Amino acid sequence: MSLMRQIWLLLLGVVLLSLIGSAAVSAVSMRQVLQTQLQLKNSDNALSLALAMSQQHGDESLMELLVAAQFDSGYYQSLLWRKADGKLAFERRVPAVPSVAPAWFVALTPVAIAPGVAQVSDGWRAAGSIEVLSQSAYVHDELWRSTLRSAGLLALVGMLAGVFAMLVLRRIRRPLDNAVQQAQSLVDGNFLTIAESKVPELQRLTQAMNTMVVRMRGMFEAQAAQLEALRVQAQCDGLTGLSHRRQFLAQLESSLAREDGPDEVGMVLLRLRDLQDLNLRLGRPTVDRALVTVANAVNSYPERVLGCFAGRLNGADFALWLPAPGVAQETALALSEALRISLPAFGPHIHVSLGAVEMPRSNRASAWFGAADAALARAEASGNFAVELAAPAVVGLPAQGERVWRQQIGDAIKQRGTRLVQFPVIDRGNQVQHLECPLQMRLEPNGAFEPAQRWLPLAVRCRLTADVDAHVVALALEAIARDGQHRCVNIAPASLLDGGFTARLRDLVFQSPQAARKLGMEVAEPAAINSFDLLYEMGRQLRPLGVKLGIEHAGSGLSQIERLYQAGLDYVKLDASVVQGVAGDAARAAFVRGLVIMLRSLALKVYAEGVTDAMDVQALWDCDVDGITGPWASAQIGSSSGRVNR
Amino acid sequence: MVRSVVQWLSRLLILAGLASGSQNVIAWEAGRMLDAASELGPRAVAAAAQLQGVIEHASTQDAAARLTAVNDFFNRHIEFHTDQEVWGQQDFWASPLQALAKGRGDCEDYAIAKYASLLAAGTPAARLRLVYVRVRRAGSTQAHMVLAYYARPNAEPLILDNLVPGVETASKRPDLTPVFSFNGEGLWQGVGARTAGNPLERLSRWRDVLEKMRAEGFL
Repeated sequence: MSLMRQIWLLLLGVVLLSLIGSAAVSAVSMRQVLQTQLQLKNSDNALSLALAMSQQHGDESLMELLVAAQFDSGYYQSLLWRKADGKLAFERRVPAVPSVAPAWFVALTPVAIAPGVAQVSDGWRAAGSIEVLSQSAYVHDELWRSTLRSAGLLALVGMLAGVFAMLVLRRIRRPLDNAVQQAQSLVDGNFLTIAESKVPELQRLTQAMNTMVVRMRGMFEAQAAQLEALRVQAQCDGLTGLSHRRQFLAQLESSLAREDGPDEVGMVLLRLRDLQDLNLRLGRPTVDRALVTVANAVNSYPERVLGCFAGRLNGADFALWLPAPGVAQETALALSEALRISLPAFGPHIHVSLGAVEMPRSNRASAWFGAADAALARAEASGNFAVELAAPAVVGLPAQGERVWRQQIGDAIKQRGTRLVQFPVIDRGNQVQHLECPLQMRLEPNGAFEPAQRWLPLAVRCRLTADVDAHVVALALEAIARDGQHRCVNIAPASLLDGGFTARLRDLVFQSPQAARKLGMEVAEPAAINSFDLLYEMGRQLRPLGVKLGIEHAGSGLSQIERLYQAGLDYVKLDASVVQGVAGDAARAAFVRGLVIMLRSLALKVYAEGVTDAMDVQALWDCDVDGITGPWASAQIGSSSGRVNR
Repeated sequence: MVRSVVQWLSRLLILAGLASGSQNVIAWEAGRMLDAASELGPRAVAAAAQLQGVIEHASTQDAAARLTAVNDFFNRHIEFHTDQEVWGQQDFWASPLQALAKGRGDCEDYAIAKYASLLAAGTPAARLRLVYVRVRRAGSTQAHMVLAYYARPNAEPLILDNLVPGVETASKRPDLTPVFSFNGEGLWQGVGARTAGNPLERLSRWRDVLEKMRAEGFL
């Protein structure tokens, strides 16, 4: 039984007991007093009457008169005069007056009163005895009234006590509930601290729990710092801190394969010319400083722009990836200017050449490098600090304008020109854990189903991502209701910024509570970093309904998510750039293992995305991830990747 | 466990009932008298032993001899002194053993002691009365108390008095004028179970003395 209820019952029991006890005790003691009083009255009155009768010198008529007079002027039930031989000489009697108390009360409190007896004499002759019996009904009257009064008073006191107790209990209950909630959220992976309450026992409890949470945060921060060190070791170049060649390539592959992001993107290649010669001429330390300056100049863009990343490809070559159309040439020119000013400080004849490329994302990495290298070669031939742009292959967006796209997307949603594609996420035993379901949309009526790479930029531009994501969630819930499999859908970061989005999702989820328990929603890692509060709020509203919340494309940014331990997430999917090549590279494997340990300690599940290599798969199982997705996983399941679901 | 508690409670109640009930049935009890006497001193003990002998002997005799025996015993063993001299109070009704312990008492002490002893010897209470009288001695009148024995309800009583050595009929005592008489009849009838140590028992002197008589084993 709950603690509160126990306390209430105890209180109720005590009040009732005291009520009944007091009423009973007062009734009993009063009955005793009244009974004794009445008995004494009987005896004393008998004695007085006998005394008076004994002075009449045996005159019977006088004695009878005395008896009658006493009876008439007093409150008696009967007066009897018995002669010495026991025969009745004279009596006066009336029936007993009934009491106003109810019959059951009279039966409960019997009052046994004997008549008063006294001896009558005439000189030396015994003239008999007199018996006096008073009316006794008033005893019960008084008892009844006093019992009612005391019961009423005690009931009032009891009610006041109850009100007081309720106030006090409420004061205790609130901090108790807070403490319970804190414990509950710890179980859920939410590391909160709460204000200490004034109740001493609870104060110690909340103090202890807060300390524990603070310590866990400290541990987490230490782990994050350790992880950052591992990451640097696995992914970064020692001198400059930029990603090394392998990491840059992996990031490039991953970025090309991603479904969100603009259609046209750019890359800048930068080369410090004649590095060997510079080493000999200026000495290694100076050249290293120069390289660091170049790296800082290049790194200023990833720090400011989302999705941008840079790398040092080899001793003299740097690369910068720009996920936006039309900025490659400007960026290269700006870099060139900045370096032109800063590099001469290190020594004479330090030159860089830059080549910029802008292409649609659908091209492969080799095509990118090919075009960029060609541009760089031309720049080197042109001169110092020269910038050359590779001619872009022009396949722009169908230049139709925002209004048309809005119409197309709206129609696709309304007329159900959409379908969910399924990619399995499998575990160690090749069992499907859940299905990832990106949306394909038919923009042209009777056209082909376009993948997210095509329609997502349009939706972002038209600010319709909230509608699309709500539609996706509805489709997923229907699909789950049909076949009962767990599914995860992607939520665009822009949807979080829409004010009513969370409310719409909640309504959808309310309508199918059974299906909701098998639904997961994932957001890209940048959204978790930038819109942490919105993500947390969405989690707070949806997770109690059974929906799972996760982060996808997670990698180096995990240590930057402050309060990851408080975010209220259920799983994390590691980006391909983090898990590719784990089999061959011990540092990367150590990094992944460290990530898994840290995320596990926060009660999060860890999955790996974009896994293609079977050796990588084995290495990932050794790192103890919970599941794997990507081309290899889809091949394992056997059904063609892209089994459709309308 | 509940059953054992109930059993224990019921045993307790039975004992309490027996204890209270037994008080109703106490009659003349030698053991109690000696216990009570031992608290009052060696003199009381000696006197009580003698009294017990007298009572036992008297219970076998007929009425007249019984009266004489008791009357003589107390007239011999108690000297007449006022309550002021003996107890330091204006008026004090002593129980029989208290009077024997002191060896001194006044008129009501004699009457009470004789009443108690006669009851213990088996005389029915209805035949005995203590009587307030006015006595004329040497020309002056005094308040006095004597014990009267009625062989039959309407008969002339026999008077046991400390002023006169023998038991006389009332007609032979013209110096006494009766005013009022009483005894212990009707005071204990039908009152139900008496609880030990009821403080209301001590409300009047007569009741107080009756209680003391009971405690000393006379009743």
